[in-house]
Amino acid sequence: MRIAGLGVTFFGLLALMLLLLILPFAFPFSTSVILINLLFYTALAYSINFITGMTGYVSFGHVVFLGIGAYALGASADVYGLDPVLGVLLGAALGLVFALMIGLVTLRFRGVYFAISTVVIALAALNIVLELPQLGGSQGIILNLGFQPYSWYYTIWGIVLFEMLITYYINRGKLGLGIRAIKSDEDAARSVGVNVSALKLYLFGLSGLFAGAGGAVFAWTTSGVFPYETFSLNFSLQMLAMIIIGGVGTALGPILGAVVVYLPSYYFLTVAIGTQLIIIGFAVVVIALFIPEGIVGTLKRRSASLRELLE
Amino acid sequence: MVALAVILSDLLFGIMLGCVFAVVAHGLNLIWGVVKVVNIAHGEFIMLGAYGAYFLNVFGGFNPLLSAVVDGALGIFVGYAFYFSFLHRELRGKERITLRSEMVTLVSTFGLSLFMSNLAVVAFTGDFVGINWSPGTVALGFLELPLGALYVTILAVLIISTSVVFLDRTYIGNAIKAYSQDITATQLVGANPTKVASLATALGFSITMAGGALLTVWIPTGINPYMGALYAPISFVIVVLGGPGKMLGSLLGGLTLGVVIDVLQAFVPVSLAYAVAFLLLIPVLLFRPEGIVK
Repeated sequence: MRIAGLGVTFFGLLALMLLLLILPFAFPFSTSVILINLLFYTALAYSINFITGMTGYVSFGHVVFLGIGAYALGASADVYGLDPVLGVLLGAALGLVFALMIGLVTLRFRGVYFAISTVVIALAALNIVLELPQLGGSQGIILNLGFQPYSWYYTIWGIVLFEMLITYYINRGKLGLGIRAIKSDEDAARSVGVNVSALKLYLFGLSGLFAGAGGAVFAWTTSGVFPYETFSLNFSLQMLAMIIIGGVGTALGPILGAVVVYLPSYYFLTVAIGTQLIIIGFAVVVIALFIPEGIVGTLKRRSASLRELLE
Repeated sequence: MVALAVILSDLLFGIMLGCVFAVVAHGLNLIWGVVKVVNIAHGEFIMLGAYGAYFLNVFGGFNPLLSAVVDGALGIFVGYAFYFSFLHRELRGKERITLRSEMVTLVSTFGLSLFMSNLAVVAFTGDFVGINWSPGTVALGFLELPLGALYVTILAVLIISTSVVFLDRTYIGNAIKAYSQDITATQLVGANPTKVASLATALGFSITMAGGALLTVWIPTGINPYMGALYAPISFVIVVLGGPGKMLGSLLGGLTLGVVIDVLQAFVPVSLAYAVAFLLLIPVLLFRPEGIVK
């Protein structure tokens, strides 16, 4: 593995991000709404990639951080009239805090026990929010933030850029070595001196932070927070689908997965409402069973020249 | 006296609710204990059982108890199909399940769970439906017990105790227990691991779907495509409370949860009671990972 020297993938992603920076000016409005959603799902995919992709801890309840971020923006904008950009920062901060608290306990559990505890926490969070009149109970919060596509777009663009850079920083550096050691054998990693608990908590915190920021943007763009929608496990499914289809743990996988999952599902949304989640669910089953390395992993395994280029 | 009657009837209802929870979780417990796989789509198979009972009632006039038998028989086929499409590739020829296989089964059954619930919305619509079946009540001193719930309680206990006797006393049951302890040794004494594991999975699904049918007695207007999101976490908590693989643990976990939810409902709103019950999982995993009773 080369620590120094950034490869084709890095510059490719950087070029793509620069292209996305100017794209809203070149294209009509409707396209940029698609781009906002695409970047939103990309942000979610990178967020779950930090924990599930890098360590193999499957966080089914990841939607809980999205929900916390959405409610952070919703409540702060609704009650205190806080600027939405500050609301996104608040969502990120709360996502981080909750991830650290939840992670401190649940990251002690391995495998299935971690997975089911995250499911249970997400469903409990929904049930708790339903009973909090301060957060609108089962009605949720309706915001009146207006149509601000450029602010939405550049906020979510910034989040994705940060996530990509941090993913690179982790995968390329000493941290990445420790994390890969955890993924292949946690006990062995611990015995050679990797600080397993701290590393896992660090990654879980990062993923909670970005999921919280993404959730806040979601509340901002939909101008409202509704409990059943915000805490829907379907979001967790979509996040997982993207990194599994793209390639878990890689820097390229999440954005590739987001494109592959979001664009077709956008099409199905306009053609036959309700079918897109059925198709995504089916795709996750087939890919998890038959090509668990995803697109990036499979390409790397199949072709020696791509192995050097993709990461 | 009135207060005592209220407490007693609350407790009794908690116990009866606990028994139906127990049978709903029992199939998960069996599969988890034997093949060491957690089926995240467990709740959706409960939903399938419940809709099975609903359609048998609408088109055949079956009551939920009869439907439980039909569902149980169907569950055998569903279970075999599940084993050979989801688990066989991961378990075949292995002495124990690897972390990688565990992740594959978790993610694929999670995909299956949302595939099934979203498909159910399209197939059955999102409307809440129910079975109108009330065989009357029976007076027990100063308590009026609904007979339907009582029959379900009896059947639930019967199903769980039969499975215990089956595992303890029959040749094939012993093979399943042996498989759950040591796959290599099971092979050495001549049992075919695939046959044993697939049978255990099929039995688990049979119980799960029958449990879904029995559950309909308790939810007269509550059959819907998303009900899995409620009964799956309940089942996870029950199995962890009782200890995965301990057959009587389902009953212990179910009773604990039923009483906890029933008592909490007297003090806090229903959704909070369920939230607390779900979160019971965390302290149990932290402090008693092998279940509340050793």
